Amino acid sequence: MAVIQVENASKIYRIGEVETRALDGVDVSVDAGEFMALVGPSGSGKTTLLQIMGCLDKPNTGSVKINGQDVTRFNANQRADLRRDVIGFIFQFFALVPVLSAYENVELPLLLSGASAKERRQRVMQMLEAVGLADRAHHRPDQLSGGQQQRVAIARALAPKPLMVLADEPTANLDTANGQQAMEIMQRLNQETGAAFIFATHDPRVMSYARRTVTMRDGHIVSNGQALG
Amino acid sequence: MTLAKLWTIGFRDLMRNRRRSFFTLLAVALGLALLIVLNGFITGVFDDAIQNSIRLQTGHVQLRAPSYSDEKMSLLWADLLDNPAELVAQAQSVAGVQVATPVLWASGIVATPDDSAGLRVYGIDPASAFYEPLRAGLVAGAFPAADDRSGIVIGQRLANNLGLHVDDNVSLTVVNADGEPVEGAFTVRGIFSTGVVTYDESALFMPLAKAQAFTRTDGHASAIIMMLDAQDKADAVAAALAMPNVKALTWRDLNQVMIQSVESGMGFYVILDAIVIMIVAVIIANTLLMAVFERIREMGILAALGMKGRQIITMFVLEAAILGIAGIVLGVLIGLGGVSYLVNTGLYVGDMAGSTPGVPLGATIYAAYAPGLFANLALWTLLIILLASLYPGWFAARREPAEALHML
Repeated sequence: MAVIQVENASKIYRIGEVETRALDGVDVSVDAGEFMALVGPSGSGKTTLLQIMGCLDKPNTGSVKINGQDVTRFNANQRADLRRDVIGFIFQFFALVPVLSAYENVELPLLLSGASAKERRQRVMQMLEAVGLADRAHHRPDQLSGGQQQRVAIARALAPKPLMVLADEPTANLDTANGQQAMEIMQRLNQETGAAFIFATHDPRVMSYARRTVTMRDGHIVSNGQALG
Repeated sequence: MTLAKLWTIGFRDLMRNRRRSFFTLLAVALGLALLIVLNGFITGVFDDAIQNSIRLQTGHVQLRAPSYSDEKMSLLWADLLDNPAELVAQAQSVAGVQVATPVLWASGIVATPDDSAGLRVYGIDPASAFYEPLRAGLVAGAFPAADDRSGIVIGQRLANNLGLHVDDNVSLTVVNADGEPVEGAFTVRGIFSTGVVTYDESALFMPLAKAQAFTRTDGHASAIIMMLDAQDKADAVAAALAMPNVKALTWRDLNQVMIQSVESGMGFYVILDAIVIMIVAVIIANTLLMAVFERIREMGILAALGMKGRQIITMFVLEAAILGIAGIVLGVLIGLGGVSYLVNTGLYVGDMAGSTPGVPLGATIYAAYAPGLFANLALWTLLIILLASLYPGWFAARREPAEALHML
């Protein structure tokens, strides 16, 4: 069953008189538990598609259905609720809140969803253990390596038990070993939690982890890929 | 999301740029301290002026003839009280009245061979407790006895201006009850200093009997002045002394012009308060806007995690509250320090104290503690600071998360 369906989505950015068509009639559907790579060169529309799938932005035309619900008509608060409850994000630049410890960063989405103190404590430690950082719980981001920060970001994305995790170039700022470690953790958590993972990348090593690859170019999907295994 | 976590984020964000936060906090503190000192000072000026006027001039309650006008200082019998001794006795029988004494006022010109000065002549009972401040303020000579037929007491500034000393003779001219100018020779028996410029340079005191004889107001008085054991009993005492052909005036009525002029002066201070608070608000808004620009990407991250616009606004309001409350605490401490200095040591203004006609100020002006006013200023400062933080908060919250995240 599809957790997200994007139908005929287009997104146009206007900067002054210049118009850029970042997405042009894109159709894509992702099933529960998929581990999917969104690939293509820079400027192909991967990040825009991820942002539209993640309710961080709205398409100019077309629709986005999450769990069968058309979310393009949602207001800002409804979209915020949806991001909080259903979607996890992993960004290229780790995107941790710099003034919060690893523990507090992972706790943040749970606080937003109103989880009890006990639930939060258990879930945060469970997620930090899952990414191998339980002993770094009280370190701030600037006391962690890039690889460790990205693992905290993975733990944070999965803490509220989302239906899907959207990752934009999650290994782009990591060295090979850390990138590999991050991908292995994501792959393992995908299998353990059943959350769908959709990650944008142009790194062939990262693509090799995907069970399905969707290829984009110039705002179009040129290959919708087939799920492997 | 719990407020506690928003407090935590807000506090730590402020600590990220300690220097900026410190200077913003200092701006709040100094702004409020300035307001507290200024308002403490003006309250002190107001209190001083009222108390000086009551102590030296009006008393708490006065009895006058209905037609008596303070500006004209009329000596017509019709404008005067014809039975002062009876009225004093009646006043002294009212509960709360500590002192009741008759007074006769006239305007006059005192002249020496070299100089002259216009002044107010006071015919008084030299033994009355009402004149204790003058007796205590004697710097030379003594008060004349009630039956002294030529003795006068003058202020030190007047004595200095005219080059007079004790036992010097002067000529005094007044327009008497018949409307005719009369001149008499008097001897300076004593020189006083009250510290209040208006009295020290333009008041001349002589025994009531001599004043009545000199002005041909035989047995009459301009007013009966009363001091009470508590200022707030003035209305009750005035009501108790209501009688035909006599009007009872309270210190509020008697100082109406001064109260109005001081209150209109206070209006200027309200405008000044508003300007200072607005400057503080702009500084806070500027600091928070700078923080918004620096942290726009962070706002995108928080929005991506599901934080709503109102929660982002709340976060900035809490940051402003932290800066505001810390600044206000510091400002109150600095301000109270300043007020305390001015309460104890005062500010010497010298002759400037006499530059506001009708406002009897001492040459040294003291501030006063006004806890209610200070609390109001602190609360207004906090309120305006919180309001000023709404714009930066809204500015941060209104962006689409994708737009904020692009600002990497």
